[in-house]
Amino acid sequence: MTFAQAMLLAILQGFSELFPISSLGHTVLIPALLHWNIDLASPDFLAFVVVLHLGTAFALLVFYWREWQGIARAFIASIVRGRFSGSADEKTAWLLVIGTVPVGLLGLFFEREVRGLFASPIPVALFLALNGIVMFTSEWLRRKDGGERALVSLSYVDAAKVGLAESLALLPGISRSGSAMVAGLLMNLSEAEAARFSFLLGTPVILAAGLLEVPRLFDPLAHVALVQSILGGILSAVTAYISLAFLTRYFRSNDLRPFGWYCLAAGVICFILFFSGIVKA
Amino acid sequence: MKGLSLLLAIAFFVIAVLYWTGTLQIAVHEPGPHHKHAVLFAGLGILCLIWFRFQSAAPSRVR
Repeated sequence: MTFAQAMLLAILQGFSELFPISSLGHTVLIPALLHWNIDLASPDFLAFVVVLHLGTAFALLVFYWREWQGIARAFIASIVRGRFSGSADEKTAWLLVIGTVPVGLLGLFFEREVRGLFASPIPVALFLALNGIVMFTSEWLRRKDGGERALVSLSYVDAAKVGLAESLALLPGISRSGSAMVAGLLMNLSEAEAARFSFLLGTPVILAAGLLEVPRLFDPLAHVALVQSILGGILSAVTAYISLAFLTRYFRSNDLRPFGWYCLAAGVICFILFFSGIVKA
Repeated sequence: MKGLSLLLAIAFFVIAVLYWTGTLQIAVHEPGPHHKHAVLFAGLGILCLIWFRFQSAAPSRVR
């Protein structure tokens, strides 16, 4: 992986991790489209991805820092007290805990099998198109149902369902933030609340995914280029922060449909290119 | 339910230790210790202890 490729992947990771367009899908499709000779399973590449994930998680933590402080305080207080107080921060904390459990369990047990089966350009292109169709469908269903609930009105079962939906992102091409948002929208959350829940829910998942893989950085087979990794992490954090600033503002008055169009178009075009052999998969 | 939460907590911690030491090899890809599995089950064990704590304390006034 050259320096320029690494930096481009860092920018791509920062943007696509939070935009509902599947970062993993893009990590598979872009190198294939640009004929990059990168082994996505090599220790070097996996170690670099760890740094990028840590950068994204850092941006999420910084962006929602005040909110996380309130959530953590309320969470610890409820444990010490041994009962619920009914505060919004406390409810959010427990919704996040319940929502994270299915993602953690399914991710740990099925991630490798699922990615081994589907992490090649043709299935990824199909899942990306499906990701777009799901976004359109959710917006259409939500319009039919109407209503805009606040995040704290969700039940813990709803939170588990959002977590389950987020687990669909194990399939490369299905967006983690997108699937969580879609689940939130189907529970009649507003776009802004669904996006907020998706980003908050993504923070422990992305952070854990990064931290649990930190030993990869010290893998004797991984020749981590220090400057490249540090710059990649910083670039990923900065682009993730910019994405968050944009998306939180965007979803106050807009919906998922433009991302749906993008995923559908990109998925269909990539499928045609790879399936027809115009670009070698 | 108090008993169940405690039982589950103990079970999860035992599973975590077994994964950590590499004794348990269920749903793994290669032999040896599995620290990620261990951390996840330890987390579930902690959640069960919190559940136990909630049941041991006085009933909630709000909900």
